Amino acid sequence: MVICCASDARAAYASCVAWAPAYAAESAEVTADADSALDPLMARLADGDRSAFTPVFELLWPRAMRLCTSMLKNDADATDAAQQAMTKILERASEYDRRRPAMPWALAIASWECRTILKRRLRRREVADEAAGESAVGHEDEHVQRQLVEAALAAMGTLSETDRETLIATFWEEAASASGATLRKRRERALVRLRSAFRRLYGLD
Amino acid sequence: MDSTNLEQIQRRLRVAYEFGRLRLALVGILPVLVIVAIAASVTHRPMSALWLGVATVTIGATMLWYGREPQRAVLPGIAAGLVPLVLALRANHIHACGLDGCSTLCVPACALGGVVAGLAIASVGNQRRAGPLFWLSASGLALLTGAMGCACVGYSGIAGMAIGFGAGMVPGLLRKAFGGKGP
Repeated sequence: MVICCASDARAAYASCVAWAPAYAAESAEVTADADSALDPLMARLADGDRSAFTPVFELLWPRAMRLCTSMLKNDADATDAAQQAMTKILERASEYDRRRPAMPWALAIASWECRTILKRRLRRREVADEAAGESAVGHEDEHVQRQLVEAALAAMGTLSETDRETLIATFWEEAASASGATLRKRRERALVRLRSAFRRLYGLD
Repeated sequence: MDSTNLEQIQRRLRVAYEFGRLRLALVGILPVLVIVAIAASVTHRPMSALWLGVATVTIGATMLWYGREPQRAVLPGIAAGLVPLVLALRANHIHACGLDGCSTLCVPACALGGVVAGLAIASVGNQRRAGPLFWLSASGLALLTGAMGCACVGYSGIAGMAIGFGAGMVPGLLRKAFGGKGP
């Protein structure tokens, strides 16, 4: 039996998808007896014979579970997939084409359900990776911002009292001791001095 | 997985199976709805046709859902019932006038349609070597379908069709009873 052992979800998905059809063919050969027993039972079920329901379930359930466990490597997911597959198989039991063997048809539906779960799992993993990446970038930005503010405050510390007051009034909108044209000129001068202090301290604008 | 869980899963799957059959039955009975609508719009007694149509659709859908012989009886039953239905709807527009006045040809048309329907059901039943459930289901559905048209003159039309149907069945039933050596 082939085992899907890739730890990465994308690789696991790729290997399982490539392997699933081969599994159906292999299983059909190995358990030919069970398969041939299923055909008439499925035909009876399609005809509305409810007494065939339990034998069909007993033949199909372990095979669907085995396939899904092999593909998904997770019992809970495998049970979900097998249940969904069985629901679809039995919902469509009345449409079963009795010229075709039942087991490959049923296992094809089961492997489709497993692939759907694998795809969903892969998508969830990608979304989680993206979210983790975004939060890392966010932390980095915040850190840089904090450092810049600290640097600006340090540069402001080298300025005169009037310059500091003017800059605080400009950026924190506090009331200043001057207003109008005087304030504008003071602000320009204070900013020039802050810039030169920043350049002197850190070597950049 | 323990047996309780498996039992629960099996129960859920059984419900899914029944719903699947019901969905197919409802889809399968849609053409009969069209027949009922046409019959109700053409006949002089639309309410009777509608009630009989509702009964036909309900019983037909139930038979399709149930499966086996009743399911196999739906198509022959409806097809055979179309004969008296169409004949009765046509006869509604034809009047035979004598010295006493005019009357529709509904009852004779229903009786004739019933005979043809009976012969058809008996023929299919014998051909398929069907069991009594098939005969009963197909006959019931054929009579209900035909009755939508044969209600044109009340119960007498339906009775005429039923008598004709019974008469049409006799040769087939005799053939069945005597293993093909009958008429």
